[in-house]
Amino acid sequence: MTTRRVRRRTCREKGKGKEVVEEGRLAEASSSPPLGWVAAEEDGDGDAGRAAVCGEDVDWTLLPDDTVLQLFGRLSYRDRGSLGSTCRTWRALGSSPCLWSALDLRAHRCDTEVAASLASRCAGLRRLRLRGHEAAMAVASSLRASGLREVVADGCRGLTDATLAVLAARHEALESLQIGPEPLERVSSDALRHVALCCSSLRRLRLSGLREADADAIGALARYCPLLEDVAFLDCGTVDEAAIGDIRSLRFLSVAGCYNLKWATASASWEQLPSLVAVDVSRTDISPSAVSRLISHSKTLELICALNCKFVEEEQAHSPTTFSNSKGKLVLTITSDIFESVAELFPGKVVKEQGVFNECNWRGKSKVLGEMMIWLEWILSQSLLRIAESNPYGMDDFWLQQGTSMLLSLVKSSQEDVQERAATTLATFVVIDDETANVDAARSEAVMRDGGIPLLLDLARSSRVSAQSEAAKAIANLSVNAKVAKVVADEGGITIFTNLAKSMNRSVAEEAAGGLWNLSVGEEHKTAIAGAGGIKALVDLIFRWPAGTDGVLERAAGALANLAADDKCSLEVAKAGGVHALVTLARSCKLEGVLEQAARALANLAAHGDNNTNNAAVGQEAGALEALVQLTCSQNEGVRQEVAGALWNLSFDDKNREAIAAAGGVEALVSLAQQCLNASDGLQERAAGALWGLSVSEANSIAIGQEGGVTPLLTMACSEVEDVHETAAGALWNLAFYSSNALRIVEEGGVPILVHLCSSSGSKMARFMSALALAYMFDGRMNEAAILGTSSEGSFKGVNVEGARRMALKHIEIFVLTFSDPQVFSMAAASSAPAALSQVAEAVFIQEAGHLRCSGAEVGRFIAMLRNPTPVLRACAAFALLQFTIPGGRHAVHHAGLLQKAGAARVLRAAAAATSASIEAKVFARIVLRNLEHNQAGTST
Amino acid sequence: MAATTADGSKVVGGGEKSNVDEESKMITLFSSDGERFEVTQEAAAMSQTIHHMMEDGCVDDEGVHLPNVGSSILAMVIEYCNRHVASPDEKEDIRSFDAGFVNVEHHTLFDIIRAANYLDVKELMDLCCQTVADSIKSKSVEEIRELFGIVNDFTPEEEAEIRKENQWAFE
Repeated sequence: MTTRRVRRRTCREKGKGKEVVEEGRLAEASSSPPLGWVAAEEDGDGDAGRAAVCGEDVDWTLLPDDTVLQLFGRLSYRDRGSLGSTCRTWRALGSSPCLWSALDLRAHRCDTEVAASLASRCAGLRRLRLRGHEAAMAVASSLRASGLREVVADGCRGLTDATLAVLAARHEALESLQIGPEPLERVSSDALRHVALCCSSLRRLRLSGLREADADAIGALARYCPLLEDVAFLDCGTVDEAAIGDIRSLRFLSVAGCYNLKWATASASWEQLPSLVAVDVSRTDISPSAVSRLISHSKTLELICALNCKFVEEEQAHSPTTFSNSKGKLVLTITSDIFESVAELFPGKVVKEQGVFNECNWRGKSKVLGEMMIWLEWILSQSLLRIAESNPYGMDDFWLQQGTSMLLSLVKSSQEDVQERAATTLATFVVIDDETANVDAARSEAVMRDGGIPLLLDLARSSRVSAQSEAAKAIANLSVNAKVAKVVADEGGITIFTNLAKSMNRSVAEEAAGGLWNLSVGEEHKTAIAGAGGIKALVDLIFRWPAGTDGVLERAAGALANLAADDKCSLEVAKAGGVHALVTLARSCKLEGVLEQAARALANLAAHGDNNTNNAAVGQEAGALEALVQLTCSQNEGVRQEVAGALWNLSFDDKNREAIAAAGGVEALVSLAQQCLNASDGLQERAAGALWGLSVSEANSIAIGQEGGVTPLLTMACSEVEDVHETAAGALWNLAFYSSNALRIVEEGGVPILVHLCSSSGSKMARFMSALALAYMFDGRMNEAAILGTSSEGSFKGVNVEGARRMALKHIEIFVLTFSDPQVFSMAAASSAPAALSQVAEAVFIQEAGHLRCSGAEVGRFIAMLRNPTPVLRACAAFALLQFTIPGGRHAVHHAGLLQKAGAARVLRAAAAATSASIEAKVFARIVLRNLEHNQAGTST
Repeated sequence: MAATTADGSKVVGGGEKSNVDEESKMITLFSSDGERFEVTQEAAAMSQTIHHMMEDGCVDDEGVHLPNVGSSILAMVIEYCNRHVASPDEKEDIRSFDAGFVNVEHHTLFDIIRAANYLDVKELMDLCCQTVADSIKSKSVEEIRELFGIVNDFTPEEEAEIRKENQWAFE
């Protein structure tokens, strides 16, 4: 006996990006049979495939050098390293300067040792991307790339003045230096002065989160960097606004997010700049008058970007035409039509508004325009991300009307960092609530409507690791919305995620697993994921990534948990080695998020008892049940809940049930039940369920009573939540079978609780099972065993047993009678026509009761009850047997067999004919007889 | 794909609306083994090598001899060019055509790369390089050697050096 259920929960995002993968894209598009190269690769059945492909007839090292270089250029650094390690010819080619003009170290650990090992190849290095201030230190001290022109660094919160100064001193040819978006809290004006002194060729300087940029430092930039044309001080503390007016070469300026500027001074000084083309003052408290002043006084200014500026927006709301007389200068605000405004930059050319950011519209036009568009893309991507992160109130209109399409335009940008930032923003702006993994339906559907899904999937297929992970993250988050998930699946997202999950890069694998997790919520996607090889990929993730990589493991286990909820997929999970993988996690992983999902996955794997052997297989893994039992003491409620759920489902298997008990499961679960009474409903339900599952055998049942399991179960039976009290009622029903427990229930004041459930629960199952529990308690066995012996007055330890008995019987009767319609019953009683009986059977049938499975002893007890002197109990027994034998019920045949074996037919016929019996009891008994015939006919054919 | 016509020359069919366009003049190509191919100028011009020859007026009625490309490979390259000239817009079709095109034996792919390199057909070069790159992905050094039939010619000292030099990329 017991109900079984499959639980699932979805989750999402968080993380960052790194490395490469793009397997099988061609093979995937191909419909031709797997014959050659690509196919063998795709099959993945190792040696056989490779042998067919390996050709001794051609010497691949004879390929033209430029072809080999092209090949190298398409590989990740890791694969380049492998290819270059094969032979001398290719090693030499792999070190070619053309492959080393740009380097992206973000996905790799970079310390002084690594930097030193790269130094010999970096003599001609021009562009470098790095992450973390340790990497910046290593580059500054050991890379010796003196020709470096451009450095883009992120994650440099800890960067110090000293490091920045050395970086500048060692790379005097620097033309572009960008460090952000993490605030440079430890960098002061001193370092800025050093940069100015060392890097006289500097054209672009973009820094985030400086505490201060004083007049002296900015003055140095003005004096020593005559080419400096693009300056961004983002989210900085104080910036000497007047000094900026001295950088005569300045063309593009951003002070987005700087809150301490004196705007009157700023506008007065910046209007004098002779070449200033565009200014970004987004996310500041700039005054409308300062904007107006720049518009009217600057001769060269063409564009002011002022997104999310409170005072400007207020002014615009107040008088919409504020900046309309802007002498052709554009002012971009949240409330303006940005696409339309930008389109005005292309006079005389018909540009579709949504396409203004498409590079072919401005390539070949004036150089200034091109530069401005590139700058605009960059600063827009910055501001949009920041706005999405802080998610200020009242931005819905902006995102839905133009923000979303703008982000999608930026995903198509020619600048890689803009693409990635746009993808990150898409991943961020749809999330409403991190905790519950809720996404905004309107926003995610807007992304879908504007064609964002294929765009992001394309980006996810790029060879750049950071693009892969950011795009995968965005798609994963968007897929929390079921409609979007469908489009993602239709557009090939499942295969893409499956391939990305095989990535050697942790962030990519993590986001891809997250994507599969979210997609696996949809029933229709589960089979597709299995078909694409996703299950194998997910299981492999668990084997590949060691403990400590919680993000990857949690997502992989979460996805497998969802997949295991499906019959067929659960077989696939087992076939791919998932049982062992998940048990290993449960045994050895220490991370709560991972444990929770692993336990949930095991619970779902074990939830198909009738259809496959996974349940038994989990129990056969060494240490599996012991680990789960131990985890019931976890500090984390989610873990406790899922583990209890797993033990509940596992206890369906006879061997597992006894093994759980042998591992101390009874004590552990009773204590869990005692401690979870203030916890979540889910935990209470599963704790009760696990006790229910264990209580199927006599020894466990009695042990549960002895350990003190009755009290918490009675408390849970008082819960208002149906799932909780229903499950508790089930457990109590099993326990009440044994007189010692029945006695305890009476003693703990359980009768009124069960009576209350029996008469007023919204769940028929809860009412049914509490009625049966009461019937067990008062069918005479408990009295014989104890009470009559101990107390002649019929009261026992302060409980009036006789009163309780009367109350119980009365409510059992009321319960049984609720299913009785006098007219129909009298008709059925009078008639011998099967139709009348069927009508009654249909009316009284409790759907979920079909899942309950009774042992021979229990069936025997009901048969005995058919002869009980109390008429109510006779009716109740017939009612119960009716439920257990309804044709089509999961265990009906099993129960019918038990009844036959016990010779119940004779007793039933007697009950049906007894003159003293109620009309209900007679009709129910007849229906059971009919059921028996039916089930017998069913088995004999 | 390649059908022999009455006069013994090969006409390689590709896209639906190939060589019927009245504007497109045909030019003749000869493979290294002397086979003769008729190709539209437009398709032939996908090869930068031939394109430059045409621009320089080096292409006459005599046709162009391509001493480095055998007939079977040339037929494939022409099929590729025809297809890409014929339907530049149908992205999905082209994608599946391309996928099928490079789904060939190892040595054939090698020959196509050499031909594409010699004829300088950029798109074909990209396609082939990507195919080879995809097959290298995530493989170990030994697996790549096996894939290409490469013999390890490093000394143990060199191997140690290389390992150190590439260690960073594996972390």
